[in-house]
Amino acid sequence: MATHQTQADLGNQLLAALPPPALDLLRRDLKDVTLDQGRVLFEPGSPLDTIYFPHTGLISLLVLTRDGGAIETGTVGREGAVGLHGTLGPRMSFTRATAQIPGKFSVIPAARLSRLMDESSPIRALIQKYTEVLWAESQQATACNAAHDAAARLARWLLQSSDRIGSDHISLTQEFLAQMLGVRRTTVTLLAQALQTEGVIAYSRGQIHIVNRPALEARSCECYRVMKRDALMPSIGIRF
Amino acid sequence: MPKYFFHLRDKESLKDSFGVDLPGIAEARAHAESVAKELMFKRQGMLDSDWTKWTMTVEDPAGTELFSLKMSDLPSEKDDD
Repeated sequence: MATHQTQADLGNQLLAALPPPALDLLRRDLKDVTLDQGRVLFEPGSPLDTIYFPHTGLISLLVLTRDGGAIETGTVGREGAVGLHGTLGPRMSFTRATAQIPGKFSVIPAARLSRLMDESSPIRALIQKYTEVLWAESQQATACNAAHDAAARLARWLLQSSDRIGSDHISLTQEFLAQMLGVRRTTVTLLAQALQTEGVIAYSRGQIHIVNRPALEARSCECYRVMKRDALMPSIGIRF
Repeated sequence: MPKYFFHLRDKESLKDSFGVDLPGIAEARAHAESVAKELMFKRQGMLDSDWTKWTMTVEDPAGTELFSLKMSDLPSEKDDD
């Protein structure tokens, strides 16, 4: 099943999917950074001038509503990258992107990656395919939010977050989970209690530990399987 | 603002260990109903026990029960929004 070991220093699966010569080319311009929890990468309207490749952390994308709300629309971890629209030319961020789980990231200026995409067809192909994956995932998430109950979506989010950080220990507060699921915090507390009572997860003080992954998968809607990059990526020609 | 705790009880007890600060009992009742509806959305029950068996009890920080509501008394499935 899911393997959680990282390839040496390269936790990011998108980078790891590149053929070695293309990766060497890219690596010359990658810089390693550590981002603390809550660090804002982009605000809506700010220029997408940097691309972030997570190795260990989790980036959360939020749409800000006029009444001051922030609705979680997606997360990106080691399976992807944030800011890729910036490679198309000068682009503004549509969402607020924050480091929800702190970690290590590789960054590259958007203009530099754009030039590398012109120079290297493997880099260009990978980023185009990943963009297709994001588009498919966004459609699935829209359907999921409308069709599936909070318990199934909570299971999906925990599994996805675990995959994206490469660990069964997830530092996410119940407030954040409630925001992701669009329900009240009390609802998440009670659902998490039910999962804990069943021995599926264990949690304390913002730390969630997935104890029984197959049982959690059984409680998730089908969207976890559909959206799982391990399944989606090979379907468009990317293999991890 | 006073704190209210929203527990679910059947054979098992699901504890709300955090609680929510709310202005008063009317808001606590509204919160309880909203949470109950979110839990019941498209679902038969919890922990292999259907909703007719579950009761939500609302307590103050001292653990005194303020009121309770039977999940089965609530309209199921997006009747309102």
